[in-house]
Amino acid sequence: MNGTLRAAGSVAWREVRLEACGREQLGVVMPFVLAMLVLAGLAFGPAPAVLVAVAPGLPWLTVLFAAVPLARGVAAAERDDGSWDVLRGLVAPGPLLAGKVAALWLWLVTVFAGAVIVSAGLLDAAPPAAVVPAGALGTLAIAAITVVFGTVVDSSARSGLLGVVLLPAGLPALLAGTQAGTPEVPAAPWLALLVAYDLVAVALAWALYPYLLED
Amino acid sequence: MSRVHAERLLGGLAATGAAATLVLGLVVAPADAVQGQAQRLMYVHVPAAWVAYLAFAWALVASVAYLARRSAAWDRRAQAAAEVGVGLTALAIALGSLWGRPVWGVWWAWDPRLVTTVVLLLVYVGYLGVRGLSDDSSRNARRAAVVGIVGFVNVPVVHFSVVWWRTLHQPPTVLRPEGPQDAIAPAMLAGLLTGVVTFTLGAGWLYLRRVRSLALAAPDDAATDEADPVHVVVTRGGAA
Repeated sequence: MNGTLRAAGSVAWREVRLEACGREQLGVVMPFVLAMLVLAGLAFGPAPAVLVAVAPGLPWLTVLFAAVPLARGVAAAERDDGSWDVLRGLVAPGPLLAGKVAALWLWLVTVFAGAVIVSAGLLDAAPPAAVVPAGALGTLAIAAITVVFGTVVDSSARSGLLGVVLLPAGLPALLAGTQAGTPEVPAAPWLALLVAYDLVAVALAWALYPYLLED
Repeated sequence: MSRVHAERLLGGLAATGAAATLVLGLVVAPADAVQGQAQRLMYVHVPAAWVAYLAFAWALVASVAYLARRSAAWDRRAQAAAEVGVGLTALAIALGSLWGRPVWGVWWAWDPRLVTTVVLLLVYVGYLGVRGLSDDSSRNARRAAVVGIVGFVNVPVVHFSVVWWRTLHQPPTVLRPEGPQDAIAPAMLAGLLTGVVTFTLGAGWLYLRRVRSLALAAPDDAATDEADPVHVVVTRGGAA
């Protein structure tokens, strides 16, 4: 167990180091987040009531759209360096998945937090406290699914497919997260739905990821 | 009975069922007291949606079986089921839109079940798209199986969305805890159930033909499936 956790931690740390060394996933995605929220404000505004009404859903929409470019990076380093075989030889599929999901979860939580803060400021809509657990839960499931689909569509050909498969799969997070982040809506049932979604997504990723490493 | 004969029997039964559905839906069943003649679209819209879900469920079973057994025959079954499901889902959405216009006053409503059904369609369009990513057929099959299994997670969301969210969509009439009694006229129920059986038979016929054509189009994969008894029936039926 300790060995598995250590291996997963090593993979996650490797992903963080790769990002720090210039893979620049967040460097590209964060301006994308800002641009999307500004454009959303222009598209839905200027009526303040409308902006407040759409504010709970915008961070989730942003996270889902940001997951598409982030998914392209899931296996980019391995593909570019031809290091898949080495990595698979060194780390079992479970810890490899856990490490990649942990790193991507970190990116998605960062994107979500940035989107919540920016949308709260731009749209003048203070989010309820439930947005914190909702953000953590929803982005975990999205991270697990993104790692799976990012590995499936690991070639540049038909990269548009990522959006087709990834965005619909994130629908439960979008719906439940938006409801949980809406003031005056009881958050508990939606957080429970997010927990169930997490369990399903992580279990599926855990069960299916080894098959993707057979290539 | 050979596979081809089974196909012909299925096709004949589906054609007969289609005629029965037309008579029951257009002649025997009365027009709805509130919705009028537009309600008759129910006899094709609802069966198309139900059988689409059935097709996607079979695609899931076939995808799991492929990963477990690595038989190209299971991959062909998953692909054929997904193709049938995509066609029926598109049909159900189009018919629902035609039904919604006179009843709701709009072609499209942001009802959760409508949205999630479209999402389901997108998932399986993506599933079929993934199949062309690589020149290696076994790699394509493995990736598609993974996408098919993950995509099916959305199906319960589709099915239960009518319960989870308040919606303007028609709540379940037949599949409700107290049963269909008192919710739908017997003649309407007969037309609806006949439509469901007909669509199931028709989709089964289409599915078998597609599986056979896929087997004939991939002789290299087929050669690796000779231990699979279903495949033997397919190729012998095809040869006959």
